[in-house]
Amino acid sequence: MECRVLSIQSHVVRGYVGNKSASFPLQVLGFEVDSINSVQFSNHTGYSHWKGQVLTADELHVLYEGIKLNNVHHYDYVLTGYTRDTSFLEMVVDIVQELKRANPNLVYVCDPVLGDHGSMYVPQNLYPVYKNKVVPVADIITPNQFEAELLTGKTISTEKDAVEVMDLLHAMGPDTVVITSSDLPPRLGDRFLVSLGSQRHVRPDGSRTTQRVRIEVPKVDAVFVGTGDLFAAMLLAWTHHYPNDLKTACEKTFSVMHHVIQRTISYAHDLAGPGRRPSPPQLELRMVQSKADIEDPAIVTEATVIS
Amino acid sequence: MECRVLSIQSHVVRGYVGNKSALFPLQVLGFEVDSINSVQFSNHTGYAHWKGQVLTAEELNVLYEGIKLNKVNHYDYILTGYSRDTSFLEMVVDIIQELKKANPSLVYVCDPVMGDHVIYNNCFLFLHEKILLPVYRDKVVPLADILTPNQFEAELLTGRKINTQEDAIEVMDLLHKMGPETVVLTSTDLLSKHGDKFLVALGSQKLTKPDGTNSNQKICMDIPKVDAVFVGTGDLFAAMLLAWTHLHPKDLKTACEKTVSVMHHVIHRTITYANDVAGPGKRPSPAQLELRMVQSKADIENPSVVVEAKVL
Repeated sequence: MECRVLSIQSHVVRGYVGNKSASFPLQVLGFEVDSINSVQFSNHTGYSHWKGQVLTADELHVLYEGIKLNNVHHYDYVLTGYTRDTSFLEMVVDIVQELKRANPNLVYVCDPVLGDHGSMYVPQNLYPVYKNKVVPVADIITPNQFEAELLTGKTISTEKDAVEVMDLLHAMGPDTVVITSSDLPPRLGDRFLVSLGSQRHVRPDGSRTTQRVRIEVPKVDAVFVGTGDLFAAMLLAWTHHYPNDLKTACEKTFSVMHHVIQRTISYAHDLAGPGRRPSPPQLELRMVQSKADIEDPAIVTEATVIS
Repeated sequence: MECRVLSIQSHVVRGYVGNKSALFPLQVLGFEVDSINSVQFSNHTGYAHWKGQVLTAEELNVLYEGIKLNKVNHYDYILTGYSRDTSFLEMVVDIIQELKKANPSLVYVCDPVMGDHVIYNNCFLFLHEKILLPVYRDKVVPLADILTPNQFEAELLTGRKINTQEDAIEVMDLLHKMGPETVVLTSTDLLSKHGDKFLVALGSQKLTKPDGTNSNQKICMDIPKVDAVFVGTGDLFAAMLLAWTHLHPKDLKTACEKTVSVMHHVIHRTITYANDVAGPGKRPSPAQLELRMVQSKADIENPSVVVEAKVL
């Protein structure tokens, strides 16, 4: 498999978020990963302390120029996640547009990180950039419910609402949308949460078809960081292997997440000791220990095809 | 295996040098790797063009401070390679000294990159010889536990020339006296008994037996030469020597056989691919010669031994 990804995300010295979360699993699956580190921090910002440096939009451009001058700016995928800076995000859009001109088949996988649980945790002025510039050039997006509602201006109270929101997102650009988590009531009980996916295809005869799936995943009683980044990377990988089968791509992706998270929470509890809540360092994803699950995830969550 | 490495090396957006060369193979072997990127460049400097940014000594210290404030400055290994900047190197030394106080069993794997007789340009050679040598010789090497100099670097550090195998052994002993208990001369100009298509590498490890006495294992390897210039192979070598000496701590012979064998598999996969991509009769470009790292995962995990080390 000759498949090259450009991933533009954070780098942390210690732990697994951003490029640290995305690179290893993609490489383990045989992808060539070029990575531009948008920041270099000691660790993620959920620890008591964090220190480091950020890359400016100009510096991003300089790195891209180097790639371009060598005539190696040919990618099959671009992957982006958490960004705090509008000028940086706009430079990313310029780069994606140029890369799409160099390779019209390029697939841009975008996690439109804006917030969660009702509030934004990036600066407000990123919202119009995502809505008007980023999402229109994305091919695969992985918003949570809050981000999906924000981008479309429509709230999700029922599965029907979610389907409409995903259709609105399709109309904005991406052919593949996965709402990574929602507040919809799970059929399997309140220990689960509901995710949904939607993929538009154009048939050989030119007509359009949409496959929609619903997945219920077990909730875990802990706050993980980097799981969204791992999710987007693995969705990239599994939609690459199953380009017309969102059901299978989602089952594999959600299953990998499950294995990594379970391994992590067990280890974290062991380290923390009985009755104690694990700390952020203890809750770092057990990424290297999960290599076998990443390579070949046993399916533990089934996706149901919905209307 | 719970083993945490701090690797302070370059990052390139594209390709496999520095941390890009070291991380994936170490992670594949189950090591937790924390990485500080000393630079971020678009690609290595053997391409026609390169662009990017460097980390200052102060910025390095800031990153380390973050790790320390969270009380997670506990490492089993440190790994360093190519450095251009004496103040950066001196900050690295300070950090290692502090980390060794936090964990006295910490092992510092150091590739004392100063050049090679096959150099990219004279300027590179000059800078390193004059400017970095004193820092490596007086501050870095004394802290190192495992050292991977080539012949040129070993000669610079000890002030001794290597013309014979006996010279090489004496130089490794001098290097032991400077600090590191494990020394691998990654390549030399010594004549191989297998002919000129091979190069000679040597290794030496000092061990303290349970009864307190010292022993010393010395080995020699004849490694097939490859007709191409690779970049990042030294970084991969140091990372894999870290891994295989960790897994075979008192057996330099086996550690070196595995390390050199991994190199062989990766290099061969790379040269085959590069020649295919370049086409018949054409010399592959630097971009085409990037190590086939992710494609070599199985060899990294479990290298079949293709080069044997002879115990001297």
